[in-house]
Amino acid sequence: MSAAMEKSLAKKTVIGTRVPKPDAPDKATGRTRYINDMVLPRMLVGKILHTDRVHAKIISIDTRAAKALPGVHAVLTGDDIPELRFGPTRDNFPLKSKKVRCIRDEVAAVAAESEEIADQAIALIKVEYKDLKPVFSASEALSKGAPVVHEDHPDNRSLYYEFSHGDIAAAEAASDIVVEHEFEVPYVTHCCMGPSCVLADFDTTGKLTIYSQTQYPYNYKMDLAPALGIHPGDIRVIQPPVGGAFGSKLDVYPFEPICALLAKATRRPVKLTFSREEEFINSPTRQPVEFRIRSGVNKDGSLTFRSVDALLNNGAYTSWGPTTPVIQMRTFTGHFRVPAVEYKGLAAYTNNVYAGSFRGYGNVQATFVTASVMDMLAEEVGMDPIAFRLKNAQKSGEVTPQGSILDDCRLGDCIEIAAGKTDFLSKHAANIKNRDVPGTRKYGIGIATSIHNAGGAKIHKSDGCGTILKLDDYARATLITGASEIGQGIDAVLSQIVMEELGIPFADITIVNNDSALGPWDVGVHASRTTFIAGNSALRAARAARKQVLDAAAKQSNVTAEQLDLREGHVVQADNGVAIIKLDRLLRQMHFGEDHELVMVTDYYEPNSEPEDRNHVGNLSASWAHGAYVAEVEVDTGTGEVKVLKITAVQDVGRVINRLGIEGQMEGGISVSLGYALSEQLQMEDGKVLNPSFRDYKVPTAPETPEIELHFVESDCKEGPMGAKGIAELPAIIPAPAIANAVYNAIGVRFFAPPLTPEKVARALHQASFQ
Amino acid sequence: MNIENYEVPVSIVEAVQSLQHGDATILAGGTDLTPQTTSGAKEFLRTLINIQHIEEMRGISVDDGRYRIGGLTTVTDILESALLAAEVPVLVDAADHFASSQIRNAASLAGNICNASPAGDMIIPLLLLDAEVELAGWIDGTLSMRSIALIDFFTGPGKTAMQGNELLTSIVFAAPVEGFRAEFLKSGPRPALEISMVSMGVAAVQKEGVLSNVRVAIGAVAPTPIRARATEAVLEGQLLDESLVDEAAAAAGREVSPIDDVRASAWYRSHLTGVYIRRLLNVVGN
Repeated sequence: MSAAMEKSLAKKTVIGTRVPKPDAPDKATGRTRYINDMVLPRMLVGKILHTDRVHAKIISIDTRAAKALPGVHAVLTGDDIPELRFGPTRDNFPLKSKKVRCIRDEVAAVAAESEEIADQAIALIKVEYKDLKPVFSASEALSKGAPVVHEDHPDNRSLYYEFSHGDIAAAEAASDIVVEHEFEVPYVTHCCMGPSCVLADFDTTGKLTIYSQTQYPYNYKMDLAPALGIHPGDIRVIQPPVGGAFGSKLDVYPFEPICALLAKATRRPVKLTFSREEEFINSPTRQPVEFRIRSGVNKDGSLTFRSVDALLNNGAYTSWGPTTPVIQMRTFTGHFRVPAVEYKGLAAYTNNVYAGSFRGYGNVQATFVTASVMDMLAEEVGMDPIAFRLKNAQKSGEVTPQGSILDDCRLGDCIEIAAGKTDFLSKHAANIKNRDVPGTRKYGIGIATSIHNAGGAKIHKSDGCGTILKLDDYARATLITGASEIGQGIDAVLSQIVMEELGIPFADITIVNNDSALGPWDVGVHASRTTFIAGNSALRAARAARKQVLDAAAKQSNVTAEQLDLREGHVVQADNGVAIIKLDRLLRQMHFGEDHELVMVTDYYEPNSEPEDRNHVGNLSASWAHGAYVAEVEVDTGTGEVKVLKITAVQDVGRVINRLGIEGQMEGGISVSLGYALSEQLQMEDGKVLNPSFRDYKVPTAPETPEIELHFVESDCKEGPMGAKGIAELPAIIPAPAIANAVYNAIGVRFFAPPLTPEKVARALHQASFQ
Repeated sequence: MNIENYEVPVSIVEAVQSLQHGDATILAGGTDLTPQTTSGAKEFLRTLINIQHIEEMRGISVDDGRYRIGGLTTVTDILESALLAAEVPVLVDAADHFASSQIRNAASLAGNICNASPAGDMIIPLLLLDAEVELAGWIDGTLSMRSIALIDFFTGPGKTAMQGNELLTSIVFAAPVEGFRAEFLKSGPRPALEISMVSMGVAAVQKEGVLSNVRVAIGAVAPTPIRARATEAVLEGQLLDESLVDEAAAAAGREVSPIDDVRASAWYRSHLTGVYIRRLLNVVGN
């Protein structure tokens, strides 16, 4: 050993530190190249003609004038392509040839040399329709004689889910108090800053390279192929950075195969980008649901039963929205200890637009209902909202009726911390007294809690993620992961895991996860799973690389690998930190020495969760997380305006990996939920979207964003990477009902249908004043 | 229609010469024109006249008790004017509720007026000030100016008394009389970037509880912004007490003719009208 090596390096951890997202500087300085910025040689512009009808037979489509326009290279209608079905239940078509079923339907598409020519060509296409009787509400769609949306579903029934546990009738008969409530949750949309965009390019052998915003590149190939009639193996997915996804890019939507079909027809690359108006009308929404919930409670405050009927407006086609009962029912049946539970969810086809997945995946809706009902039941039995919840909160080791194993249950801790940090009970009582004091400003405090899968969700046969990790001759690491970066911050988290295990700096790690030809398989970014699943796979790969390196180092010295550690680019003695050799030097010795050893490892991690059985029972996730959020509000009883003053979020996280990242995730989620609570609603009238613009679709802006206080409950999740749980969705799930409960605390009026717009609140107060 | 000519006048005379044959679209800040032409709500005419380089149409001045605000003065200029903040704070207050910083930086006062939205934010305080607008035209080879009261300028949603060959060059109003207090309220779930469901301004001089020079202006409750003359008459010369407030609220309720639209119902607009007149009288009357 040289003298220069005689330095001691202390063990430092990067887990729990604040690491800026590696993509942040480019985004902040405008250097990020989105698909929108891409230009390929000979590239054409694609454009879709959407229908202006909600339910109509297509009599004819005249494309002659459009085709004759100079600069137009292709005009396609459903008659020009094979009738290929796609979508989770194969009920959708890229271009509709026989009839249109909703306002977002695609009836023709053009590829042209410029945006202007494409627009002109679209305007020249003449479609003749015969209007059909439409149906817009789910309950009407299920009534006898209702218009039929899909001829192969004459009863308009799309999907049905049912779960039952315990004897509901007996539990109801034995309950001291039984109440029934109805809720209705609205259409909202993701509002990605980057509108939908895709670029398709076929090579001479018929293989497709698609530049996509998808958040599930591997199954995307499987889902896109049927719409094109090509083999999934012939699709390569490139993922440039995206301007937001939030679940909206977890499916294939018609514009994607349409763009590929235009590329195929013209033998040129074609890019298709939505306008903001198209983004509002023609991209998926969150699933709207009507709920009827019966609940029982005994006078001692113990819950006795919960029975839920959910009616989902499927819209005209099926994306993931109508499958959200799978996650939704876990909350109804498993949040708080309820001995007898029952859930029925039915989705009915209508002539409305349709829902996809959206951060929270059905649990946003379920939590609005359960958290509101918990407050009402507490009042029914005369308990405060905190004591009532604590009485019914599960403890570690309990298993829910659907088989969610709560081996590390922090629900009670979250509630207690949330109540303590906010001085909840004294404020709650004071606010009730203040209701009757003259004046138009009323103050409220409310709490809500929920549960969500925190270790993936095994809704596919595998919930795994693959990793390839290599170290080069300069001790630079490249981590090729199946996990996509859609802005959520996985690149930083995976880098931290590699840093921790290999003792190399952040700047020396490259994450590659934007090419399906390179990356190993992953289900996709959903279900709060990526930190947990991809993190575990990266951790295992990093540990394998670490072992290989330390074994080689041990071979060169007279200590065992276990006595060595990797710190700050050096192999060191673990006990005293004394550096033995620089890591890059060791790697070169391994590579170019007698053993010719290169460090490159692979891993495929499959969590120890179970798919549900036919009865919806099974430990769907390798971990479960809870959260308790408190909202404090001010209500103007004149105008009905609700101002959220503060959100205090207590989140069960297992372990924080990137503190900056988790804070950003939670603040962003809270903002999404704030909009759901107070202002966001895609207004639908007779199947048409009335407010397809940021002017009239009201996402929260900076001035109404409240003070946010975050608390992390760290418990070291046994299965999680570094002890972490996945928590991305809970911050977008819990705040809305906390706000509604706070409004109730302020003015004594309960709201069963978000958003609580000023008009809705003012009307309710006006009506209450006449009672 | 496609734009065939693009002109960039640097003086009012040049601008009105370009305008004399009509068939022209005037571009000022573009914050209304751009979204309207993009969405197809409005079509460009044959000539596009970019008036942003007419320096004589910018600025805020006061001369012999009359204020003049150049038509191209931006909402940000108004927001940052120390003169207006001291003498006519209601204009600054309205500017502070106007859209977002980026839009305020571009949007001109004349543009906000000529867009003639019933919900135009800057219009309500100007109605409280009995403002007039000056219109320039080119007639028989010379510059021709005329003035018209702002309240008479609006003829319908998006419609004004300005002719196709005219240009709104400035906004003028008399300095408020001593003791004149004007206040403005605007609705919306968001404190910024919000198109009013109702906006209202109330102004008066209050002396020993008695109101004079009463002016009430309301936006977004009728096809044009309105002056609530009957409500003003109820209040003028009267001692402001609770029963007068009730009477004024009832009068205002009769003067508005709100509609249901995507932003609010007629019921809510009427309701807000009542809430706002009470609140504004409470401030102005104290």
